[in-house]
Amino acid sequence: MSIEHLTDDEVDLALIGEEVPAGAAAHLASCLVCRRRRDSFLAAVNGACGEDPDETTRARIRERALSAWSGAGRRPHWVRWVAAAAAVVVLSLLPLLRSELVSRPKIDTDAVLTEVDDVLSRDPLSAAAPEEVVEAVVPAPEADGEGSWS
Amino acid sequence: MASVARQETPLEHEDELELVGMAQQGDRDAAEALLERHELRVFRLCRRLLPQGEDVEGAVQETMLRALRGLARFSGEGSFGGWLVAIALNLCRDRLRRRLLVPFQPLETGEDEAAGPLAVVPSSEPSPERVAMARQAVERLRREVARLPRRQQEVFTLRFFAGLDLAGIAESLAVDVGTVKTHLHRAVRRVRAAVEEAKP
Repeated sequence: MSIEHLTDDEVDLALIGEEVPAGAAAHLASCLVCRRRRDSFLAAVNGACGEDPDETTRARIRERALSAWSGAGRRPHWVRWVAAAAAVVVLSLLPLLRSELVSRPKIDTDAVLTEVDDVLSRDPLSAAAPEEVVEAVVPAPEADGEGSWS
Repeated sequence: MASVARQETPLEHEDELELVGMAQQGDRDAAEALLERHELRVFRLCRRLLPQGEDVEGAVQETMLRALRGLARFSGEGSFGGWLVAIALNLCRDRLRRRLLVPFQPLETGEDEAAGPLAVVPSSEPSPERVAMARQAVERLRREVARLPRRQQEVFTLRFFAGLDLAGIAESLAVDVGTVKTHLHRAVRRVRAAVEEAKP
């Protein structure tokens, strides 16, 4: 064993966890003074560290975090992908829906007007008022067939 | 050193990535296993970085919840433990900023902590003098760590209280290992000197 004790820097290296020179490491392994110097520091560290929580406390903290996570806030991983895919589908369908609205068949106004003219020519009052009103104002002729509007 | 955890092996890293993948799919058991692996480290970190009176359990719980909710963002490039510690670190910084308090506990030693250093003091028969010395060393260490610049405090805490190795600290702080070494050397030199002053 070398009689040269570790320097401050070598003690620090040993404490930090870095590699110490080979000679210093051998000395540390066999020198009670240097080991005590290192260990008293580590003892102070452990003292300052304090007591670790017991298993019950640790389990309680863990359980709270897991419950909060698995509650409303958590979604299965695939839900996000499904939601994204659904959004893409809706967005891609929007132009189609719009063109569907725009390309709706136009009303044939000539045909409509022709049909209206036809109805009016047969019974003009039916277009102006409901049938019962027409019946009240202009009673239907007797069954002999005279006085017919047509 | 009891507070420094061993380094993760590649096999454990693979296993952990598998757990992360399952948790990302919503597997509660996998998420619980992940938290259980690293919760002690997060607890130690929060307790040392947050001032006395701050809700440490609440901070640990919040750290866990932030991690679980942000699981989709974890790429798996680094370790899950390092990522979790980074979340805890940011949470502690937020709380300290909000309260504008000095981190670390004051010098009073709680009764529950008084016996702590004695268990590891290298002596089979702790005399009253040794007990007093050990307490004094702990107090000096706490005081000196509290006086360190913020980044040195964080590096020291991550190394000695949370038990991260140099690479893990670098990952958590998003800096290179050389920077970690520089801060850690300065911090250890200062704190060790203070602790050694407690010797007769």
